[in-house]
Amino acid sequence: MEAEQKFQHALLTRHEIARQWKSRNQPVVGWTCTYTPEEVIYAAGALPVMVFAGLGDTRLADAYMPLNSCSFTRACFNAVLKGDYDYLDGFVESNSCDNRGKTYDMWLNYSKVPNIYFINTPHSNTKKAHQFFYQETVKFKEWLESTFKKGISDDSLKDSVRVYNESRSLLKEIYDLKTRKPPLISGVEFLEVALSGLVMPKEEHNKLLSQFMDEIDHRSDSPREGVRLLVTGSVMDNTELVRLIESVGGNVVADDWCTGSRYFWNQIDLNGDPLKAIARRYLDKVPSSFMYQHEQRFRHVAELAKRFEVEGVIMFVMKYCDTHMFDAPLLRDELKAMGLPVLYLEWEHSMSGFAGLKTRIEAFIEMVGGVK
Amino acid sequence: MSTVERKLKATSGFYKNYVKEFYEDAHRAKAEKRPVAWVASTFPVETLQAMDIVSVWPENYASVCAARQVSVELCERAEREGFSRDLCSYSRCVLGSMFGYDKELPEGGLPRPDFLVSTTCACDTHLKWFQVASRLYKVPLFLLDVPYNTGGGDADHLDKAHIEYYGSQLEELFAFLEKQTGTKYDVYKLRETLAVSNWTSKLWMEIQDYRKTVPCPMDARDAFSAVFFMLCMPGSQLAVDFYTQLRDELKQRTQDGIGVIESERFRLVWDNLPLWFNLKIFEYLNSLGAVVVAEVFSLTWAGSLDQSKPLESLARKYLPNMANSTVQRRVDIILNLVKDFHANGVVLPLNWGCRMMSLGETIVKAAVYKKLGVQSLIVDVDSSDWRVAGEADVRERLATFIETLRRS
Repeated sequence: MEAEQKFQHALLTRHEIARQWKSRNQPVVGWTCTYTPEEVIYAAGALPVMVFAGLGDTRLADAYMPLNSCSFTRACFNAVLKGDYDYLDGFVESNSCDNRGKTYDMWLNYSKVPNIYFINTPHSNTKKAHQFFYQETVKFKEWLESTFKKGISDDSLKDSVRVYNESRSLLKEIYDLKTRKPPLISGVEFLEVALSGLVMPKEEHNKLLSQFMDEIDHRSDSPREGVRLLVTGSVMDNTELVRLIESVGGNVVADDWCTGSRYFWNQIDLNGDPLKAIARRYLDKVPSSFMYQHEQRFRHVAELAKRFEVEGVIMFVMKYCDTHMFDAPLLRDELKAMGLPVLYLEWEHSMSGFAGLKTRIEAFIEMVGGVK
Repeated sequence: MSTVERKLKATSGFYKNYVKEFYEDAHRAKAEKRPVAWVASTFPVETLQAMDIVSVWPENYASVCAARQVSVELCERAEREGFSRDLCSYSRCVLGSMFGYDKELPEGGLPRPDFLVSTTCACDTHLKWFQVASRLYKVPLFLLDVPYNTGGGDADHLDKAHIEYYGSQLEELFAFLEKQTGTKYDVYKLRETLAVSNWTSKLWMEIQDYRKTVPCPMDARDAFSAVFFMLCMPGSQLAVDFYTQLRDELKQRTQDGIGVIESERFRLVWDNLPLWFNLKIFEYLNSLGAVVVAEVFSLTWAGSLDQSKPLESLARKYLPNMANSTVQRRVDIILNLVKDFHANGVVLPLNWGCRMMSLGETIVKAAVYKKLGVQSLIVDVDSSDWRVAGEADVRERLATFIETLRRS
């Protein structure tokens, strides 16, 4: 399928895409947490891109960040030190997790990015938290305006929200193709669809999403039927793990990653003040594990498991990601209580432990498949 | 040969006289069906003290378990339930004690809470760990969500919006506490508690001031014990009485020129936590001619509270805690300590399960050397889980560091 190839291409050439955007004298702003209100960045005429790095080694970052810090954060920072992100005009950090909060100082001290901003992200969605986060979003808008010398009007915010809402609704539509048996789209393909949207202009990505939907009905190379699995965890910025699962007889039909379903599950209700609407969505969306309302995430996972008729769950618990490490045993018990087999894997964001992971995943899929 | 008594009188028997007593009181309260709260580190505990709520600090309990050498067994108990070995050892230790332990727990364990109060101020771990406890015990959890001190300022240089958000949640806290305990919140009682807390802080800082003297009259081992009141009950008369006694003793020591050791050659600043299971490591340093004269941990708990603005001043006291601030704040604090305490070395222990205090130590090390020409040692340890780094390893690292200082 042509659109699918374009998603893959975009992921491979993401730094070029950003540089091209910049060559038109439009700024590029990096972010790492999906609680960053991207719509506001887009409304400023800037290209928001998620900073990620794949599963390489982290030699450069290891000189500054201890080995007991999050390996994903280290990988991102390694890419920064390597110069992969030298084109960034701005970068937005947040306290949505302890690793991230402290990495703000790493960016300030060791990166070449000229403008670095910190958004304070509440860890709950009470009325007062909403008021606070709205103020934070206003300040963020003002920072963008003064940094990039461009006013952000309510109309441009609304336009941006429309583009982002369209993106979310198309992503959900494509995601739904995985309810079919066998799924009409593989887990790897979906990750490519979703991740490419984090590094290219949303309007162009939306066009590709529509093209993808047009092409999908005629596809002749659908994934083979395998064991239907749900995967959970914090962040997934690469396709290697899902590829591994699908190479040994699994179909990843649902996920609860911040770069997966949690990214696009909830829309912005565009009534009244657009900035308020944007801020509201982020605190109320399917939460990440750092939020007080963790049970809402557990419900989301349970609903996905039912809707996509999964036969088993693989939990990828990333080392040193404290909030997920605390949630994991609780979520595991809830899923087991639903009668689902669960494979609990602690992993580091690197290729080094892949052989061990493969053995365990293979055995799990055989076990679940055998039950059928 | 010197026959000078160097052990302090005030801190002798500290554990038995105060800590043990503290847990006995809490168990007594529980038996009398008075409400007991679990409270997280960096939570404004004065609010609970003002309402006569008996509160225990799980974090302190973990350090007790470590000192009693049972923390690793308890950590392993939590690990068997699926809690990762890379999580904070404080939290694993306390969770382990909740899951059931086949031997007698130190001080009879933590009394079962009627409710929990936590905050994101120290770390995410405190939210998540208390959330697990709340689910296990089926008791409510109040969360004080604290904005990150992005500007890195001290109590007088904070973001107004941060203070307002903090203060407004304390109003919700009082409503929560009233509901949980049936006791009415009384602003006058809060003001009284703040006055006592101020006095405690003032005495504690006077105590620290005496440690600036050469030779230093009080070692880290005593400080890490005595800081207990600053953490768990700053608003109590007991704290005032104890600190007065300790201060007077240090004053006398200073006048008499009696230090921790006879020949003090190296004065160190110690960041982060001690190895609670091995406080003797400080005596080992003494044997090398070194004294830890200031700990970042014990020095960051004091605050001046304005009784006419109780909520705002509680925000100002707790919000700029180093854990909740940019690394620059830690850098500023450590630079000042090195200068004020005439230190010539800094120990930066990386606590394995603690992201907040581990990330950024490279920045601290570079800044201290660049600004003051003083060297630092970054060393992997853990506060309560001795499997992370063995005693021989840690001693070796410290000895090498002291040797480096000796040569420079």
